[in-house]
Amino acid sequence: MATGNMKTIKRRIKSVGSTMQITKAMELVASSKLRRAKQKSIDARPYFDAQFRMLTELSGAGNVETVFTQKRLHKEDEDIKRLHIVIAGDRGLAGGYNSSVFKLVAAEKADKKLTKIIAIGKKSVEYFEKRGYDIAVKRIGLENMSAGHYSEISNAAIKLFVDGEVDEVKLFYTKFVSSMVQETTSIPLLPLSGENIKKHMGTDASAELKPPKAITYDPTPEAVFNRIIPNFLLSIIQCAISESFTSEQCARRVAMESASDNAEEMIENLSLLYNRARQEKITNEINEIVGGANAL
Amino acid sequence: MTPFNLKIITPAKVFFDDKSANVIVRTTVGDVGILAHHEAYIAALPTGKMRVMDKDGKYRAAAVATGTIRVEEGGEDVVILAQSCEWKEKIDIPRAEKSKKEAEKLMEDSSLSDMERDLAEQKYKRAINRLSVANDE
Repeated sequence: MATGNMKTIKRRIKSVGSTMQITKAMELVASSKLRRAKQKSIDARPYFDAQFRMLTELSGAGNVETVFTQKRLHKEDEDIKRLHIVIAGDRGLAGGYNSSVFKLVAAEKADKKLTKIIAIGKKSVEYFEKRGYDIAVKRIGLENMSAGHYSEISNAAIKLFVDGEVDEVKLFYTKFVSSMVQETTSIPLLPLSGENIKKHMGTDASAELKPPKAITYDPTPEAVFNRIIPNFLLSIIQCAISESFTSEQCARRVAMESASDNAEEMIENLSLLYNRARQEKITNEINEIVGGANAL
Repeated sequence: MTPFNLKIITPAKVFFDDKSANVIVRTTVGDVGILAHHEAYIAALPTGKMRVMDKDGKYRAAAVATGTIRVEEGGEDVVILAQSCEWKEKIDIPRAEKSKKEAEKLMEDSSLSDMERDLAEQKYKRAINRLSVANDE
């Protein structure tokens, strides 16, 4: 009995050990990717901050009506056609990273028939395909996105909105606050309103929000807005994708770290069991020998 | 000439943050030169070229892809936000040639959707712009 038990324990130690090797390797890969992604996010911040600030100020100036700001008020709340842009990861094993984004989307309780999806990241594509959503654009491979991909996504969203296919565009992503904290967030993008932007910019934006007194728009406010707003949406999407990617690596690193720790603990416990079984076996053998010798 | 603070910011980095006395950009309505104490101003920039006067009074050319120029009230601070920006001497000509060819090939494809065609055209414009800035005297 003891021998059989020892064999199973040994096998388990081995299998936990090889799992630990994998989790350790994934942890290392995630940390190195995280370092790069974090640097990229940090480098990009001045640009996005400036973009946000400019749009906040300008939308504070008010009175400029464009296709991007018009609300479709005549509709009942249930009839609103929504577009959700959902950014998740390409791979699993990142703790709750993917599922918490989807949870946030599910909390919207949007009517499936009236909702279109732009799915970014393989997990996001899989999730919405499986549930039979109408997917307008899918894009996988967050790591190697180029300017063309970002504009493909934002152009698609803008086109759907301008053509009246959807009345509302909302972006779901994971904000990278710090290495310890990542927040799943949703931002209403269109129709564009100063209020929305202000809400999502936090405190420093409200301080900045004083409309410029007199500003010359070249050639006209409408023309400038019509070009700036798509740029702005493009930037937000780009920013959200890069932050989500950083968050994903971070979540994976943490998940893998705790998995490795757990594996280590398990191995420790199993080794203890193994040694106990081994000792038991030796004691039994000695007992048998002594018993045998005594019998003689 | 009186200098002002010029900041050129792209998603990749802060491209330029220094004093300048003059910057000439191509806006959607034509070339605009900005000097110190310009009135508060805002305009969109398509893909095009830009010239920045540095501290020594020399002009440096750069290729810009879609952005915005903004002169703050008081005319002391000018901010240019652009999707990408490259100095003339840093432009990778073989790469630009390559992406021009790719874009040309894409545009010949008649099965493209409007959106894909649009993207190909943008790519073409960026490549052409890079080449023309790089080969400019």
